[in-house]
Amino acid sequence: MEALDELRNLFSARHDIVRDWKRQGKHVVGWASTYTPEEILYAASILPMRILGSPETAKLAHAYCPDNMCSFCRSCFDVALKGDYDYLDGFVTSASCDNREKMYDLWRHHVEIPYFYFINTPHTNTNTAHEFFYDELVRFRESLEKAFRTPISDQSLRKAVRIYNENRVLLKKLYNLRRKDPPLISGREALETVLSSMLTPKEVHSRLLTQLLKEIPQRDDPPTKGVRLLISGSVMDDAGLLEIVEATGGSVVADDLSTGSRYFWNSVDPTAESPLFAIARRYLDRVPCPFMGQSEDRFRHVQDMVKRYDVEGVIIFVLRFCDPHLFDAPLLKAELESSGLPVLYLEWEHAMTGFAQLRTRIEAFLEMIRGVG
Amino acid sequence: MSVAGNKRRLQTTQGFYRNYVKKFYDDAHRAKKEKKPVAWVASTFPIEMLQAMEVTPVWPENYASVCAARQVSLRLCEAAERAGFSKDLCSYARCVLGSIFEEKDLPEGGLPKPDFLVASTGACDTHFKWFQVASRRLNRPLFLLDIPYDTTGAQAPEDYQVKHYVTQLDELISFLEGQIGKQFDMNRLRTVERLSDRTSKLWMEIQDCRKAVPAPMNARDAFSTVFFMLCIPGSEISIKFYEKLRDELKERVKDGVGAIEDEKHRVIWDNLPMWFNLRFFNHLNSLGAVIVAETFSHVWAGDLNPSKPLESLAKKYLPNFANAVAERRINLILRLIREWRVDGVILPTNWGCRMMSIGMTLLKKVIRKELGVPSLILNIDSTDWRNYNEAHVKTEIEAFIEMLRRKG
Repeated sequence: MEALDELRNLFSARHDIVRDWKRQGKHVVGWASTYTPEEILYAASILPMRILGSPETAKLAHAYCPDNMCSFCRSCFDVALKGDYDYLDGFVTSASCDNREKMYDLWRHHVEIPYFYFINTPHTNTNTAHEFFYDELVRFRESLEKAFRTPISDQSLRKAVRIYNENRVLLKKLYNLRRKDPPLISGREALETVLSSMLTPKEVHSRLLTQLLKEIPQRDDPPTKGVRLLISGSVMDDAGLLEIVEATGGSVVADDLSTGSRYFWNSVDPTAESPLFAIARRYLDRVPCPFMGQSEDRFRHVQDMVKRYDVEGVIIFVLRFCDPHLFDAPLLKAELESSGLPVLYLEWEHAMTGFAQLRTRIEAFLEMIRGVG
Repeated sequence: MSVAGNKRRLQTTQGFYRNYVKKFYDDAHRAKKEKKPVAWVASTFPIEMLQAMEVTPVWPENYASVCAARQVSLRLCEAAERAGFSKDLCSYARCVLGSIFEEKDLPEGGLPKPDFLVASTGACDTHFKWFQVASRRLNRPLFLLDIPYDTTGAQAPEDYQVKHYVTQLDELISFLEGQIGKQFDMNRLRTVERLSDRTSKLWMEIQDCRKAVPAPMNARDAFSTVFFMLCIPGSEISIKFYEKLRDELKERVKDGVGAIEDEKHRVIWDNLPMWFNLRFFNHLNSLGAVIVAETFSHVWAGDLNPSKPLESLAKKYLPNFANAVAERRINLILRLIREWRVDGVILPTNWGCRMMSIGMTLLKKVIRKELGVPSLILNIDSTDWRNYNEAHVKTEIEAFIEMLRRKG
């Protein structure tokens, strides 16, 4: 499984790999929300790179951040304060939750990065919202062209769309391997593969993915054999939680995470006359994160996955202080339970320690499902 | 007897709750009974649009503060928690959702059930999500006004934002017409806007009176009387009340009468108070400190031009200090410090509110750097007193005022 090792390395050694990339005179822009249309950055020959946190406890950020905020956002900021993001040429975020919006202030004032940009993401996908978002992306394109002195042509956008779509299709194929029983890849492996896609030039990642898709069917031993689970939640940049689930007798076969299926599930229409408008549409019409109005679309996505992946139980892992998810969670839970599916609701914090309690609850949940089965 | 920090009560604000707030909820229940349309309105939504359609707007946010003042908010927050809503969510939201789940013994008979709900992302995403949950639970339609985040903190909104806002107001008109079954009357909107514009101007005159030394009005009165700005800006009753209040304050300023005897420290209170403990301001008074400005009192007013009714609503409501980069809020506080002659700033956080909690350290730092004025970050909550440690907060306040005293 060479490809898998390489993908994992892309994730863990990301800062070094990016520094190498920079040495070739290329630009890197960090993005903080999956509502950032990476295709536009890519079309400007910029490497778009997801801002992630670190599994270590945040230390420096405590001087600036209150306790009652998203620990993932805090961790990302902590990594920046430590200087690990000192290679960034830019930072792009979007209007996609209160935590992120307010952290934009702290990043701008306390982290030295030459270029900052905030994309105004509408919270619905009405026609008016599509028009507005298209205009917003026109402004973003102009801003990038000016700041990085690179024209962004429709042609280069089309190329970016093609390359991004290819990666999305490959990731979907990878997810298909989880439909088997037992699944051919573990939840941890799947998560790390998606995370590495957010950090790597897409052609490089797609090459490795293609190789991985060849290697996996030859696997002798399935990596997990357990209760088939779907994990729902916001962002997860550390596979630690999934490892616990899988070490406790679960098999994570599907997810509804912004660092999982929600990142790549929908493609951009490659045939559209205006690639920029097609990009705008894709981001507003994708399987939504819960700050968007159309929560029903996300709930439907979860229900579809439950069927497609023969899911036996759902764990809703809500990151503490992630308000949009906290509001949706009771509704999603009720909806899934009414269709007869067992649901476990757990709140967690980024880089938390002391998993004992979580483990006990997961064990009890899995036992309950096995008992029922 | 003359004692430093003794409060002097205003005539105009006597019985305010009974005469205006309670009456407001009674009227709303009556409207409901008479089958007139009632809507739930979220913060920063252009209420004038509803008033123009003769819809009775009720403001769940205000209701949460009523529940807190009446000491029942915790019970309602807990009801929402039992229904699965996290303790870390906005306590306003929990309190109001709780009042849907548990309808017994609610202040003023609870909020009348809405015919529809209208929300905006202009204060925060939480408002929108909270209204979405309420709309589902009550099985009533929700209209969302999607407000772009202010990324520059510039004085006036940009043209494309105004255009986007107006497009959505056109959609709102269709929505309202569909809900109520009558045509939107632009002339009626103009009338409401004239009243609202007048209300705003009077409210700002009231704030201006507080520039006087000693300041004639304290936070407690401001936090109750801001009610009209929030709930019924385009109404005669608001104008009548504010005129009376302004006249009383002007009288006080002329006579050199302050809200407390022997005013020593002039302080800004950023954002929300602890609605469940408004007596807290008395404690500040007893230390010789008066709140002369609340950021909350300075973010609701806005000029309206009835000859451009929709565009002027956009210009009034788009700039909002919660839905903006920190610069907007910083500039407001710096201006208040200068013009209201302030020597200290209290920056309360709010457990369930990211907008009021993240970035306080930045505010504190910039205020100190720009004007040499100290700030105190207080970790509290507006509605849920489990997040409030009285002994701790009092100690912090006393130390802060002591520092102001020494700084002299």
